[in-house]
Amino acid sequence: MRLEPLNEPVPCRADFGGGRITPLVFWRAGRAHPVTQVHARWLDRSTRHPQFYFSAQTESGDTFELRLDTGQMTWHVQSVMLEG
Amino acid sequence: MILLVDIDAFFAQVEQLRYPALRGKPVIVGAGVIATSSYEARRRGLKTGMRLSEAKRICPEAVILEGCARTYRCFAESIFALCREVAPSVESYLDEAYLDLSGTERFHGHPLAAGARLKEQIRRVTGLTVSVGIGPNRMLAKMACKKRRPDGLNTLTQEEAPDYLFPRPVQDLPGVGHQTARKLLDLNIRTIGELRAVPVDALERLLGSPGRALHDRSLGLDSRVVTEREVPRTISRETSFHQPATDPDQIEGMLRYLCERAGRTLRELGVAARTVGASFSSTDDGGDSRVRTLRSPTDRDSEIFDTARELLRAMPTRRVALHRVGVSVTNIAPHVAEQGLLFDEAPLKESSLLKGMDAVRLQYGHSALVSGQALHLLGKLEQDEHGFVLRTPSLTK
Repeated sequence: MRLEPLNEPVPCRADFGGGRITPLVFWRAGRAHPVTQVHARWLDRSTRHPQFYFSAQTESGDTFELRLDTGQMTWHVQSVMLEG
Repeated sequence: MILLVDIDAFFAQVEQLRYPALRGKPVIVGAGVIATSSYEARRRGLKTGMRLSEAKRICPEAVILEGCARTYRCFAESIFALCREVAPSVESYLDEAYLDLSGTERFHGHPLAAGARLKEQIRRVTGLTVSVGIGPNRMLAKMACKKRRPDGLNTLTQEEAPDYLFPRPVQDLPGVGHQTARKLLDLNIRTIGELRAVPVDALERLLGSPGRALHDRSLGLDSRVVTEREVPRTISRETSFHQPATDPDQIEGMLRYLCERAGRTLRELGVAARTVGASFSSTDDGGDSRVRTLRSPTDRDSEIFDTARELLRAMPTRRVALHRVGVSVTNIAPHVAEQGLLFDEAPLKESSLLKGMDAVRLQYGHSALVSGQALHLLGKLEQDEHGFVLRTPSLTK
């Protein structure tokens, strides 16, 4: 298994209900990636604006790391874990 | 009553949490050597500090990850924040925290119940499991924590301490490292019970001042209090090179960069360090480290770098390629106004310059300004808002 860094800005639709952020679907290379499960979430407060991170599994079975930059309110796909 | 929260196989557990495909597999986190490994890896004989080449030989199926210190720090801070909601005094380290629950009995009820609630809260918020040990002092809390892991919850009372401690190997006693254990084993002192039988004077002669503390601990006594450490004991910054390095400019450029990171951390905390250390590991399995104590504490990059460079140059590194270099600052105390020299304004000018650079880096990221000596790192190392992404970053604790 290996981790492929991506660090790409992506459009993402998320649920902000209940005081919790949950990514629902993001679009990369013109393709929608619906999130089926969020495995982990963590918050980085060491930067000027807090960054929310999510380990999100998509319908394809791949696990992506998503980041919400609260300074710019933009989403980024940080990396993907690949088999092999 | 002291409660110890210890995060089980911390780095490896975070990776298994983030990537479920790793669950149930032997996972190693580290670069060059094992920083931590999952319990699946430990069951196959892998240990912290073991070289990755040896680990691969013992467990070829192990998944090796370099890890991400920033992510681990986020999880640790989240857990320690939950600990601070439970206890008025929390002393946190890299992957564990001591909580002083004294005086909170009426609020929390039985400490075991408080421990169970905290474990559940941590699991619910972060997804991580922790082991909790509860005892009347720090040492017994630590020993209780070791009783059963992972996901353990144990107590050890003062009354239970002799029966539990005395048959155990002397190496299990907190404060007994490799050197001390060797000295004790040379004297045929193998268990904590045998250590307890040695007169305290004899232990002091043998081990120096720690001898008395170890004697007390062998009896289950420990007077160390839990304190919020606002000032870290050590700040270290180190990295391994992507390719073994022989070029002095490359090595010293990296050392300069690491010193700047350590210096900036000192200034952010409003502290200064009196002792500077440098260390390296070489490709022939060698390595060395040296420290030097300065005449007065410093938080200036140039003074830290000059000292670290001198230390590194004094070590025998010329005939070997280096795969890791690091700098550490210790003897840290709150920064007090520096006594300037009457005819030398350079230190004060540098302090003003550093203040301006820190402000720029706070706004635009550490990589916004790169010193001349570290310029060649540009383009070779990945960058983020914290600066160059190091391969084996240290956590300031």
